[in-house]
Amino acid sequence: MNLEERVLAIVKENLEVEAEVSLETDLRKDLEIDSLGLILITTGIEDEFSITIKNTELSDINTVADIVKKIITIQQEINICH
Amino acid sequence: MSFYNQLHIDKGAIERFNPYYCNLESSLTDPIIINGQEFINLASNNYLGLASDERVKEAMINAIKRYGASMCGTPIATGYVDILKKVEERLSKFIGLEDTAIFPSCYQANLGLFSSIVNDKDLIIVDHYAHASLIQGIRLTGCKVKPFLHNDTAHLEKVLQKSSDYQNIFVVTESVFSTEGSLAPFEKIVNLCENYHAIAVVDDSHGIGVIGKSGRGILEEKGIVDFQGIYTASLGKALANSGGIISGKKELIEFLRYSCSSLIYSTALPPAVIGGIDKVLDIIEEDFESIAARMWRYKRLISECLQGCGLKLAEGTAPITSIIGGSLENTIAIAEILFENHILPTPFVPPSVPPNQGKVRLIAGADLKETTMEKVLGIFKEVRF
Ligand SMILES: Cc1ncc(COP(=O)(O)O)c(C=O)c1O
Repeated sequence: MNLEERVLAIVKENLEVEAEVSLETDLRKDLEIDSLGLILITTGIEDEFSITIKNTELSDINTVADIVKKIITIQQEINICH
Repeated sequence: MSFYNQLHIDKGAIERFNPYYCNLESSLTDPIIINGQEFINLASNNYLGLASDERVKEAMINAIKRYGASMCGTPIATGYVDILKKVEERLSKFIGLEDTAIFPSCYQANLGLFSSIVNDKDLIIVDHYAHASLIQGIRLTGCKVKPFLHNDTAHLEKVLQKSSDYQNIFVVTESVFSTEGSLAPFEKIVNLCENYHAIAVVDDSHGIGVIGKSGRGILEEKGIVDFQGIYTASLGKALANSGGIISGKKELIEFLRYSCSSLIYSTALPPAVIGGIDKVLDIIEEDFESIAARMWRYKRLISECLQGCGLKLAEGTAPITSIIGGSLENTIAIAEILFENHILPTPFVPPSVPPNQGKVRLIAGADLKETTMEKVLGIFKEVRF
């Protein structure tokens, strides 16, 4: 699976109800997830990719594609630090 | 814009018919009086129907005669009157735990608990749909929080597997999820907590006095003995008074008595309420079986009747029947139909429930008359939802 597919799979796994999800899906507007629902998804992402998404960064995330972008940014920062 | 103008709230769907803040003009009798008219009360959490029980009222009056209106002090000061201590001990025994602290409300208990006991090396794992008071209390800690999918122990285990670098891990849930009446798989949650060295925290507000063979709540219901975790509950539902408790190991409760600010800095429950709880415990211990039989029968009658009318209900096993309303507008519309027929329900709309998962909750207290139930069922069959 490539990065996008892995992210899509994790988003789906962490929803209370089954839903169609694409990279363009807006988590709040389309899936109507609440703030804890968003943390459910982001902790799934954190555990899968061994990264930390800070609470202050959650407002950057609207769509699934935003999660992909966030992972890439965090992984780049980790690489620079090492 | 001035500050007070910024406080505008969009009442949208409840502008015309507002089911909230109804003006009750009677006690919780059958019927209740709203705006001068008789209503059948299917809205209160008065599961056992003891809120207007003469024996409870008399016990409260006697407590007032003996102790007055208030001890005008927090528990750590002059609020710790002898019956408060006695009722704490009774509740510990009733639930089957070592010790109990009584708070002014369960909201305060849940709000104060976590920040007293959790530090930033700890992790809290919480059911996605846990009560607002638990979520607020957890948020106050600033520690790492991981939600798990509602009542999903497979997902909980997955989260636990990926959570190793923490000093303490707490797993938080409710026993009965009150908007739908579902029961948490708490025996499995306790097992998982044992396997992964986590501490279970359960809010049994809608379980105490309701579930379990003799009404002792979730631990009795699930056959959990020697519970190592933390237990909270409201005393304002089946126990028909007000207040909240935290129960558990002696060390925990003693620690909270000297560290939990929502306990230490808030006036203790008035003696009348403590006297009332004491009497309700007497009644439960003497008579739970027959009272509960009525409560369960009413729940069954309501659920079967509504299903027969083609309504979709939440799949709860507690003595709660929730009609699935879906959208905000439809949920309020169902509540309005019931209200027009002089039945008082509780409509739940976001943020109390997830978007488009509105529910109209019905709880028939055991004090409702058989003739009232017949009337309710007749109305359900007649109206078009
Ligand atoms: C699950 C749950 N926890 C806590 C509370 C708060 O309890 P109290 O009314 O005693 O503050 C409620 C409802 O009121 C509840 O339903």
